[in-house]
Order: sequence, then C-alpha cells, then structure tokens
Amino acid sequence: MQPHPITDSESFESLLVGAVKAGFPSPAEDLREKLDLVKLLVRHTASTFFFQVDGVSMVDADMDEGDILIVDRAVDPYNDCKAVCFIDGEFTVKRVSIGRAGVVLLPCNERNTKFRPIPVGPDNDFVIWGVVTYIIKKA
Amino acid sequence: MFALADCNNFFASCERVFRPDLEGKPVIVLSNNDGCAVARSNEAKALGIPMGAPLFKIRDIVEKNKVTVFSSNYALYGDMSHRVQEVLRSFAPSVEQYSIDESFLDLRGVEKADMGAFAREISRTCRKLTGIPVSVGIAPTKTLAKIASKLCKQYPKLQGGCYMHCPQDIEKVLRRFPAADVWGIGRRSVKKLALLGVNTAWDYVQLREYDVCRQFALPGWRTWKELQGVPCVEFEDYIEPRQSLCVSRSFAKEIRAVGELSGQVATFAESAVTKLRRQGSLAFEMAVFALTNRFHEDDPQTFASQVVVFPDGTDDHAAVVMAAADAVRTFFNPRYGYKKAGVVFTRIAPREGHTGSLFRDPEADARDARLSRALDTLTATYGPGTVLFGIQGDGRVQSARQQQSPRRTTHWGEIPHVTVK
Repeated sequence: MQPHPITDSESFESLLVGAVKAGFPSPAEDLREKLDLVKLLVRHTASTFFFQVDGVSMVDADMDEGDILIVDRAVDPYNDCKAVCFIDGEFTVKRVSIGRAGVVLLPCNERNTKFRPIPVGPDNDFVIWGVVTYIIKKA
Repeated sequence: MFALADCNNFFASCERVFRPDLEGKPVIVLSNNDGCAVARSNEAKALGIPMGAPLFKIRDIVEKNKVTVFSSNYALYGDMSHRVQEVLRSFAPSVEQYSIDESFLDLRGVEKADMGAFAREISRTCRKLTGIPVSVGIAPTKTLAKIASKLCKQYPKLQGGCYMHCPQDIEKVLRRFPAADVWGIGRRSVKKLALLGVNTAWDYVQLREYDVCRQFALPGWRTWKELQGVPCVEFEDYIEPRQSLCVSRSFAKEIRAVGELSGQVATFAESAVTKLRRQGSLAFEMAVFALTNRFHEDDPQTFASQVVVFPDGTDDHAAVVMAAADAVRTFFNPRYGYKKAGVVFTRIAPREGHTGSLFRDPEADARDARLSRALDTLTATYGPGTVLFGIQGDGRVQSARQQQSPRRTTHWGEIPHVTVK
C-alpha cells in the first residue's frame, strides 16, 4: 500500500471511520469495567463465609427466611453486633451485647419476648463463629 | 529463616469448622471411594485408627467410639486451602505451596524481634480467620522448619508456633527426632540407616560427609547440610511443570459396559487436558489403563492398557478425549469388572517453542484451538463439566461418597443454614 497523505477533503476522523466498518469506534473499547458486588460486600476473601437464614421469619426482624448473610471472621465482635453463634449444637444468629456485665446474647428482634437474653458464662458451650457484615435480601 | 505452616489433620479440621459440635471428638475422613481413612482428628488417632486404614477393618472401633465419618469433600478442602494460603501470604513476601495442607514461607528479609511470637501469631491468625488450626515452625532451613512444626503438634504449650534456631536447642531436638521422619530421608532409607547405626536425626548429622554422599547421594547430602542449619533446598514459589500427568479413579461399582467405561475415561482425559493446558504443555504420548478389583480374588483379573501417540504433540480437548475413548475400546472385554481406570500423559513438553508439523492442515488446527480455548473459558467461568463431549455421558464420575458433607463454601445451594432467634 502507498503512503496516504491526509488532504483537506479527508479529515483524520474519516480515516478512522473507514478502518472500522461498523462506524465510529467506541472510546471505551478496551475498558470493560464492571461494578463488582463481591468487592463491595466482601472485605476479606479468606475469612468471609455465606449463610442462609432458615426457619420462620420473624416480625420486625431485619432478617427473613432465605436471606443470605455475609459473615466475616476477621471482624472482631463489637457491642451490639449481629453474629453467627454456635449454641447448643446449632448455628443461630444473635445480637451480641458486650458490656461491663460480660457477654449477653440478645434476640435479634427486641420485641420478641419468646427468646430471653442469655448471659454467657464460663460453663456455656458457645462460640461466636463470625460477625454478620451484610444481609442480602430479596426485595 | 524459613517457616513451614502445616494444617493440623487438615481434612478433618475442614469438616469441624462447620461442625463445632465435633470439637474434641473423634473424626475421620475417607479416601475417594470411602475406602480408607485419609485424615484423622487427634481423638481418632488416640483410638488407634492408623493412617490409611480400610474402613471395613476399623468398623468396630468406629461404631464403639461413635467416630464421626466423612467422605472426602475436595471442593471444601480446596477452598479452605486457598483461604489458608491467602492468610499466609499476608505474613511473608513469598509463599510456596508444598501440598494442599502445607506451605513454606520465605522469611529472608523479614525482621521480627521475637520470631517465636511471630510463629504463634501466624497460627492464631489462620485459626481466627479460617477456623483451621495450623502448626508453624520457623528455623534456618526448610528441613528444620518442618521439624519445628512437628514439635508444635507434640507440645500444645507452644500454641501452634515454634522457633528453633540456636544450635543447642536444635541438637536437643534432633537427638530425639527419628531419622526416618526427617523430610527428604524417608521410610525407604530405614534399612540403610539401621545398617549405619542411625536412629535419630542427630545420628544422621554425625555421619561423615563422604558416607552421606555415597549412601544417600545428593538429596541425602542436602538434608544433611540442612539439618546443620545450611539452607540447600531452593525456595520454589513457582511450580515446575510436571513431566507426566495422571488422572485416575476407582469406581464405587465395577464397570462391565464398554460405553460406561469409555465415558468415564473420556471424563478423566478431559480433566487431564485441562491440567495440561493450564501448565502450558503438549502431550506426545498417552497411556489409558483399566484394572479389575484385586480384592475379589475369585473374579478374573486383568490390567489392560493402550498407548496412544500424538506425533506432533497435542493439547486439544477433542483429540485427547476421543483418543482416550477409542483406546478403551481396543482392550475392553466384558468378561471383566473394571474397578479402576485412568489416563496418563507419559511424554510431555512445553508448548512454547514447539513448531507444528508441515503435514497438518493449519486451518483445521486453528479451528480446534479456538474450540479448546472456548472450553477452557467455560470451565474457568462455570466450573468443570459445564459442557461435555457426547462420549462422556452425563460427565459424572461414578464414585461412592455416602457421608459427604455439603460443599458449603463453593456451591450456593449448599451453604450452611442458620436460625434467627
């Protein structure tokens, strides 16, 4: 092919259009960026696990049956955090109150009187498995 | 300094992460086909269950002591292994994965006032973030680091971390450490060691250099130097491409139909090509084999195999899968019940720098290459078995895993459930 000087009648732009049959090339051709939900919701990939909420949904609780909980073991339990706890052989989500009185497990829903606060003593067989950082729910 | 981080009773520990109720209780994990115990919790070890014990031989102990038995769940173990690796990488500039449950950390250039505390911190962090208990040994060489990590398991007082560096301490440890348990010496050398009067690692160090070289060659000499605190085993943060590659499985039930056997073998071949492509190699020769159950002595026995040659080398999914299935048809005999089968690439070379043959159709090759790349992408994105060759049947490998726990960290349908109270 011969070198092709750009004359007045042919702008540089028209040359580009000629090179791409489909029209003007997308300025974002090589940048296919996407929002990554994992980046938003998972701070620590090594220590983040997913749980699904089971059982009867509770009135006014912010968790319903089927919700996905994002649980990060890297987060230290803090006062009034929601955490996946292992009590009496099952995984349960509790609100954990950490204060001068020690650790007290509160029901996730304050208005629910069926479940009473449980003070955790040295005799209890109990672990805070991980702190809930996000709740994914269906709208 | 080097560290070895070794996950304690790894498979059993993975199961326990999601079953805190099994803490302090005997747990075993079985091999691929629920055949033998391949991982044991400390409590199971204490009951006298040996490593590799066939389930039928230990059934009494298991029942009497309420041992919890799991089939292996490699999806879970693989994922937990990655998590531990990730935590380890935050402690050292370079980490070499030695096996699914062991990694070396290169601590050259890592300055810590208290290395013992550092070892304990690594262990504590792994446990907190992943739930897996890890024994961390730090020492001047990889071989000594391995010994140090074993000490953590013997002495809970060390809290998962052991720093072994001053010569007097090392001597004290080596005097009590069996030579055959040293990394790089191995059980095969037991007879030779006995002839030389070597019982402990310390006895081994006392051997004359000349004798070590003559009896144990270069690897033995390296171990001898390493035990004296001189690093000789290179740090490999990349893994050498393998010279041969094998995918094989035993089946839960014996296979007596040619279609079924070739379908299973096709799936093994498919997974072997995927591995081959991942390491950037071409296969020039492949052996396909199948054998009967040697424990059923009354049944007719065979070990059948067929070698396939790829003169120009190949990493093409379709070519290998079809060749493997064809190979099965050459030796299949309905007289036999096949218990195990597999595919081995016996000659492999790097793809880089390999020139194709003049006698091939470049257009067809390019088309096949496009198909193979598309298959790679599908596997990488959606997991193995997303698309199958017709010959593979449903692509499922027939195996017995009766007590497999859910794949809690890799499959949405199997994540653990919690109640809200």
